[in-house]
Amino acid sequence: MRFVFLLAGVVSLAAQPIEFNRDIRPILSDRCWTCHGSDAASKGIKLRLDQPEPVAAARQTIAERIVTTNKAKRMPPLHTGASLSTAEVALLNRWVEAGAPWQKHWAYLPPQRTAGQTIDSLVRARLVKAGLSPAPAAPPETLLRRASLDLTGLPPLPGEYDGMSYEQAVDRMLATARYAERMTAKWLDAARYADSNGYQTDGERQMWRWRDWVLNSFRTNKPFDQFVIEQMAGDLLPNATLDQRIATGFQRNHRGNGEGGIVAEEYLAEYAADRVETMSTVFLGSTIGCARCHNHKYDPFTQKEFYQLFAFFHNIGERGRYFKFGNTPPFLHAPTEPQQAKLAELAAALAAAEARLRPGAAKGPFSWKPTLDLTTPEKYTPHYTARFTIAARFTPPAATANIVSKALPEAESAGLRFNLKDGRLQVNLVMRWLDDALRVETERTLTPGQNYHVAFTYDGSKLAAGIKVYIDGQPEKLRVIVDELNQDFLVKEPFTLNSPEVKIFARALPALDVAFLAGTAAGPEAARRQFLETTDAKAWSEVVRLRRERDAFLDSVPTVMVMQETGKPLDAHVLIRGAYDRPGEKVAPGVPAILMGKPITNRLELARWLVSRENPLTARVTVNRFWQSLFGVGLVKTAEDFGAQGEWPANPELLDWLAVEFMDSGWDVKHLLKTILLSQTYRQSSRVTPELLARDPENRLLARGPRLRLDAGAVRDQALYLSGLLVERVGGPSVKPYQPAGLWKELSGGADYVPDSGEALYRRSIYTFWKRTAPPPTMANFDAAGRETCTVRESRTNTPLQALNLMNDVTFLEASRRLAEKIMTNPAGVAYGFRLVTGRAATGDELTVLLSALERHRATYEKDESAARNLLAHGDARRNTALPVADLAAHTLVASLLLNLDEGITKE
Amino acid sequence: MKRRDFLSAAAMATLARGATDFAPKAKRVIYLFQSGAPSQLETFDYKPGLNRMRGVELPDSVRQGQRLTGMTASQTSFPLVPSQFAFRQRGQSGAWVSDLLPHIAKVADRLCFVKSLHTEAINHDPAVTFFQTGFQLAGRPSIGSWISYGLGSENQDLPAFVVMISQGTGNIADQPLYDRLWGSGFLPTKYQGVKFRSQGDPVLFLKNPEGVTAATRRGYLDDLAKLNTFKLNESGDPEVATRIAQYEMAFRMQTSVPELTDLSKEPEQVFARYGPESRTPGTYAANCLLARRLAERGVRFIQLFHRGWDQHNHLPAQIVNQCRDVDQPTAGLIEDLAERGLLEDTLVVWGGEFGRTVYCQGKMTADDYGRDHHPRCFTVFLAGGGVKPGLSFGETDDFSYNIVKDPVHVHDLHATILHQLGVDHTKLTFKFQGRHFRLTDVHGNVVRSILA
Repeated sequence: MRFVFLLAGVVSLAAQPIEFNRDIRPILSDRCWTCHGSDAASKGIKLRLDQPEPVAAARQTIAERIVTTNKAKRMPPLHTGASLSTAEVALLNRWVEAGAPWQKHWAYLPPQRTAGQTIDSLVRARLVKAGLSPAPAAPPETLLRRASLDLTGLPPLPGEYDGMSYEQAVDRMLATARYAERMTAKWLDAARYADSNGYQTDGERQMWRWRDWVLNSFRTNKPFDQFVIEQMAGDLLPNATLDQRIATGFQRNHRGNGEGGIVAEEYLAEYAADRVETMSTVFLGSTIGCARCHNHKYDPFTQKEFYQLFAFFHNIGERGRYFKFGNTPPFLHAPTEPQQAKLAELAAALAAAEARLRPGAAKGPFSWKPTLDLTTPEKYTPHYTARFTIAARFTPPAATANIVSKALPEAESAGLRFNLKDGRLQVNLVMRWLDDALRVETERTLTPGQNYHVAFTYDGSKLAAGIKVYIDGQPEKLRVIVDELNQDFLVKEPFTLNSPEVKIFARALPALDVAFLAGTAAGPEAARRQFLETTDAKAWSEVVRLRRERDAFLDSVPTVMVMQETGKPLDAHVLIRGAYDRPGEKVAPGVPAILMGKPITNRLELARWLVSRENPLTARVTVNRFWQSLFGVGLVKTAEDFGAQGEWPANPELLDWLAVEFMDSGWDVKHLLKTILLSQTYRQSSRVTPELLARDPENRLLARGPRLRLDAGAVRDQALYLSGLLVERVGGPSVKPYQPAGLWKELSGGADYVPDSGEALYRRSIYTFWKRTAPPPTMANFDAAGRETCTVRESRTNTPLQALNLMNDVTFLEASRRLAEKIMTNPAGVAYGFRLVTGRAATGDELTVLLSALERHRATYEKDESAARNLLAHGDARRNTALPVADLAAHTLVASLLLNLDEGITKE
Repeated sequence: MKRRDFLSAAAMATLARGATDFAPKAKRVIYLFQSGAPSQLETFDYKPGLNRMRGVELPDSVRQGQRLTGMTASQTSFPLVPSQFAFRQRGQSGAWVSDLLPHIAKVADRLCFVKSLHTEAINHDPAVTFFQTGFQLAGRPSIGSWISYGLGSENQDLPAFVVMISQGTGNIADQPLYDRLWGSGFLPTKYQGVKFRSQGDPVLFLKNPEGVTAATRRGYLDDLAKLNTFKLNESGDPEVATRIAQYEMAFRMQTSVPELTDLSKEPEQVFARYGPESRTPGTYAANCLLARRLAERGVRFIQLFHRGWDQHNHLPAQIVNQCRDVDQPTAGLIEDLAERGLLEDTLVVWGGEFGRTVYCQGKMTADDYGRDHHPRCFTVFLAGGGVKPGLSFGETDDFSYNIVKDPVHVHDLHATILHQLGVDHTKLTFKFQGRHFRLTDVHGNVVRSILA
């Protein structure tokens, strides 16, 4: 018997009529459908047991084959390792005898509720059936701490909510920025957010502006349907705002492979598949990813339908090989609000300066100053992320010749080369020839012996598209030979110049400037420029200065990877066995038939459907995840799988009630949370008797309140907060708090982690820099999701490494010291510390233990003051030197004891 | 009842599956992972015919249109390059081992060479991930965490799955490793590998901070246990009892781990056996010695990662160093285990994530060449743990390009390792996303021909 049925046994009495979805579907799915499911044909099996008609027709056979003593005929076959228990055989027999009644899988029917119910009435009804009654209400201070940890990720301070009703306190918590941070923390796991690319070298990327967008969404209580639409298709909304486009970073948070030698097509398929799988998990609670290689074994999704979803997500013109370091196109400049203000200011100043130019001279992309950014080969080192221009007068001695280079001597070795090959002008930027290199060449050929002005400009984008080549001031048509530059082409070699007149500029000159350099500028543009240069020099140089200032500022603005349609949809194909190099049938975008009847053709329609009433899943899956974040386990325990192999809801009526309430409220997240938090169900005491524990170990029936260890981020954040170290600043780039030395270096041999200093050490954990191949150790120890792929299920373990972490890590030692200072400067002393950490008064017994510990440690440190000083030296934060050393050390250990209490790291 | 599904319920979630399916031949595994992919052509897969074909183009009939990496796919020429290092037959068994590995050559009769390993991935990250988890993409549990989940620990004071890393002297700017390679994927994190480090604390946060003595810590833990016991009695929550027990285990680890990593009491002849580097913490040699000490203490899955095997160019110069790193320590470990009677129930595995190409990558000169990634055949060797000693199994063609006899897939190797531990690889499952996942996915056959 499986656990699902243990639970079913708890809640349904034996005499209860059989309900297909609850009692029979899970058995069929788990033991039969691997072979007799929607993928049966691929195994040459005719009998389908996932459809009502063939099952009804085969009733007799089914009844016989599951009980026969003939081992060769008995189902499921021995070799599969699957078997049926006696109780399951009995259930199946009862069902077959009753005519094998069938139901559509519950999760694909729209959620419905009957009027007049509440969370509590639905929970009570279930408890009555089980012969249980609810627990009494939790004490007010326990409840307040529970609510505060759930809504803000931080505990209440003593007196913080004095004079407020519980409801008022909840309202106040919901109104804080801390609430937004708490909700964001959960969403980052689901959205597989990280600050690194995740494969091999695992270089840094920049996605924090998307994180800021999430923070802002929760802060302003953006309706959840809008939250979904913007992340899925903000770029396709009419007149999409910058924020709506940033939102689509959700779909670029997946890992990106920059390893040399990978096959680009293989990873293009991975990225699109990751988007499908993330959407399926987080919004549909469906394991559609299983249909990538074959029809889904358990759920009604075909392989073709997987690729119909895939077709929504592979039209953004991305590269299969991501850049090793930094963001990979498509990405946006995503200025923060202050940066936007600064840009607006610069734009206004520029407009004003342009207006001061002589009438009729103010338009055009001109920035000419003959000496601006002109540098010399001795002084200048080009980089792959820098803008530059190289120009020369050149008479080719032969059809193949070097013009300007800064490279190792061997052909095609590392470095920069501007050269002539078989008459064509070439630009080579090479780190390693073939797989880490860039080469473009002109279509036109030069004639040896003839004099030319040649130039190229590079915009620092690492892309062939970022190079322009000019002959005698005219832009040339280029062939892209290799476009795989991924690391800097830097070499120590000096420039080699095969031309008497080489000019190098530390910027990419516009075309007109190159024409001036070549002496071929002509036409009205050129005339206007001449005029400005000669007759309006002062006003003109102000314009130039402001443009440079604006451009430099724009370079400092963060970017974020986003979704951006190419406008030319690529064909999508079923990939046979999921292999990128085996395209099969061509498919059009679409949603699986079981979920949707009408055709959908683009990502925006898909996004809107996700949060429409036609989709039975998103609201259910979402409320279930919120429920999980409060109670530890979802109403559907398998938060990632609402399919046939998922768990039957512990309380289906309650799940549907919440889903409908959520949609009816306009997808109002704060309303949903408040409704749950105000229920008697949530407010129950979490104490448990041995009998109830044996009966319902996971608290699925909700005859008590939740008692759960805090998640990884909250464990650290709380310690910082209670000790007064937490620096509360919302949003911004990621930070690097303490981490033991060597953790990055021992894996890669490259640069090691360098912790920040000052305030950056004390920000909330959602801002901690997340390197996927070496995640922050405290987060990993306390069960944080790995951020490799979408994770929605919460997991908690209890390990010795957590104990070591809490006792010995500098973060918690420093917090203990600061907490000790607070304890010593409060008249209630240790009792105050206990209240801070647990939210309640210590009992006499507890206080006795704490005070005797304090006495003992004080005696120890009075005897050994240097030990005391050593203990107080952990962490950068300054020590209150007014406090006696031995006493502070003793208090530090007591404060550490408090932060290590089971109750301290547990929501009760 | 399927016991492990029942156990996955939270009430029992702290227990491992904890049982074998049949009598095990091995109680533990020492997996010596050679990260970056050692060339089979310079080590174990002797191809004398290549000496006559130096510089000749790889025949299409051999390549058969199979894919190459993006690093060499657009190379205009694929010249064959023979090993620059001589081979000899060794011991009674006559196994071929090159002169680069004189110590391993001496223990050849204890080894079982599988020359016909093959994999599906062609690049490091997916290939190492495949070897570690049975799947090319991140997210699944590592082999050590499966075993830790499946069999639990034999030592209450040490983790069941320990990982150690060393840096190679071959290609020093070599492929990185990733924490997820010993992660627990969708298994509870308590099954993840614990990294023993040579810098700082051997286990993260193990040492008491400056200013806290062991005696002070003991008193502190007694106080903590008292306070937590009040809470246990008041709340009735068994998690509190678990927490108390975990703090006690943390305390025991504070003694057991330093005792384990303290090599000062090892006699001189032991260091002599493992080679001079075994005195230097963090080297492969020192890690091999630690592996033996972990094996003695009943740690279930001990995995070493040695970096530096990615010889795309300058292979001859690099591989000399790289082989020197591992030769004596590996042989020393096997002899040491044998002498202590541990080899019979310890399965030792040595190998990388794929092989290397017979054709030259980059420039070929009289004494220099490189080799690209080659997933279609490579050599892994095993020792002890019920595997036939002195056997060379599987064959490749004259170019070490394709397998001609007895192919062994990564899934087969996994199935075989589990089998030796008494675990049926089709039965070690964990339900996640509606599926009963296995280390071997839906594949894998135990390679019975190599079992004693």
